[in-house]
Amino acid sequence: MTPRPTLLALSLALLIPSAAAQGATTLRLGYFPNLTHAPALVGLERGTFQKALGNVKLEPKEFVSGTTLTEAFAAGQIDIAYVGPGPAINAAVRGMPLQIVAGASEAGAVLIARKDSGIRTYKDLAGKRVAVPSLGNTQDISLRHILKEQGLKAQTDGGTVNITPIPPADVLAAFAGRRVDATLVPEPWGAALEAQGNILVGTEKTVWRGGAYPSTVVIVNTKFAQANPAVVTAFLKAHGEAVAFLTGKPAAAAAAVNRELEKLTGQKLDPRVLQRAMNRTRFTTALDAGALNEYAALNVEAGYARGTVNLAPFLNPGFKR
Amino acid sequence: MTTTLDTPTPVRRPSRWRVLGWQLLGLALLLALWWLVTDVLRLYPPYVFPSPRAVGTEISYGLWGTGPQDGKLLAGIGNSLRRVLVGYAIAVLLGGVVGLLMGAWRPLRDTLGAYLTGIQSVPSIAFVPFAILFFGLNERAVLFVVILEGFIPVALAVSGALMNVPPALRIAGRTLGARGLDLTTGVLLPSAVPSILTGLRTAWSFAWRALVGAELLVSASASLGAQLEIGRNTANIALVIATILTIGVIGGVFDALLRVLETRVRRDYGLEVPQ
Repeated sequence: MTPRPTLLALSLALLIPSAAAQGATTLRLGYFPNLTHAPALVGLERGTFQKALGNVKLEPKEFVSGTTLTEAFAAGQIDIAYVGPGPAINAAVRGMPLQIVAGASEAGAVLIARKDSGIRTYKDLAGKRVAVPSLGNTQDISLRHILKEQGLKAQTDGGTVNITPIPPADVLAAFAGRRVDATLVPEPWGAALEAQGNILVGTEKTVWRGGAYPSTVVIVNTKFAQANPAVVTAFLKAHGEAVAFLTGKPAAAAAAVNRELEKLTGQKLDPRVLQRAMNRTRFTTALDAGALNEYAALNVEAGYARGTVNLAPFLNPGFKR
Repeated sequence: MTTTLDTPTPVRRPSRWRVLGWQLLGLALLLALWWLVTDVLRLYPPYVFPSPRAVGTEISYGLWGTGPQDGKLLAGIGNSLRRVLVGYAIAVLLGGVVGLLMGAWRPLRDTLGAYLTGIQSVPSIAFVPFAILFFGLNERAVLFVVILEGFIPVALAVSGALMNVPPALRIAGRTLGARGLDLTTGVLLPSAVPSILTGLRTAWSFAWRALVGAELLVSASASLGAQLEIGRNTANIALVIATILTIGVIGGVFDALLRVLETRVRRDYGLEVPQ
């Protein structure tokens, strides 16, 4: 028996939408357990993302640095991610299929020196060892820019400042073991170090651009976004809600962040430490294209790229298809 | 035609130039295949597997680029070579002394020798966290791992070589009146030289591998390990491959030099038939 054309057309019509949606039954999300990634922490803790995604299952994956996150992104293991502009720009420069679709946080990084290191100003960093979360990450690029403005140079560039990559969660141990003299870290690690009596040398405002610079952005895999625009739109709506919660109800948001951090790291932060860290971080969904372009220039200045790129093709704020 | 023992079939080894020719041809084929997979067929995206041209660009910028951020590969080679040469020299001295002691005194060989064999089976990278905690995130931590990895093969080779000296030589030496240090330096050591040289070559490759592994984790100043880490961190896989090639070429060149020395000595000792 041959199927009648109408029946064939009907069955095809039923098949096509699901095939076009690529069967996106899951959304794989990458993020770090840092305060600069608070929209992710809040969205996960309160179930905001899952609610917005409906039948699409959210699969969150935790990373310690933009490096490993970018690698997972390149390997196609992540669909959407919270990441610093440094790794995002580097990945875009190398041709990875990604779009920057929203901002998440601004500022939120400080330069803290060990109390007995003798460092009180940026100038004192000469000859010292300074930790950053990883080479080529957002804070590393910021630090190299600070050094340049102070007339200092990293050892790798023939200067005296030793820049050492240490994951933020390990910096407290590195300070205790006197293995580093200072660190440029995202919050809440800066506030946690300060609470232990270490010295705040660079505030979130003096690190760069008076604090008006993106610390975390949301990136999405271009192919995934093209195949599943509705999923991305739903996620970004939830992201917006998480940011609104962070700015509108900071106290409740801080409690949610603390619960999620405790779940991830096994440690609860002193609420006062967390509050201080939150005061230094600004949450927003807006993308500052100007700051991102300046960032791309700093990336070249730091030696991580050879020429400035036009970021325009990678920027898609609000996610338009 | 019959062959007899007096007229062996001449086994002609290919000339050095012919071998080089084959090797160059192999290299060209490999490059062509690489080019075919990346530039022509585009089987992988460039951020996963870059083209030979992209890797060549990284090498040329890294070696003789004149921009403010160029020449990092050259600087890395310099730093890494300096470290490995210092570490290797110390390892050879230390390994020589320990090996001599182990060769001279049986209980030491039975205890320390066994432990060293055990330690040798631990990958060098496993010692890096300890080295960092003990020495800090600095060059001394790197050197520690290089020396540790380098000295063991030397010590084991020296003690093994001393043990394997034919008893006839030892007896002959004694008969001629050599005792103690004289016997060791005048009779035993000279006859152990070929085996020791093999140990030195093993130690070189261990030290070189240990160096790059340690530098990857202690990437403070410019080095080949730091280049790998920076390439990884900036999603620059072309730089990663360029650095891997550099590490391989340098390791290979030094191994070849040591091999030439080893072959020459073995020939002098009548252990290898000259071509």
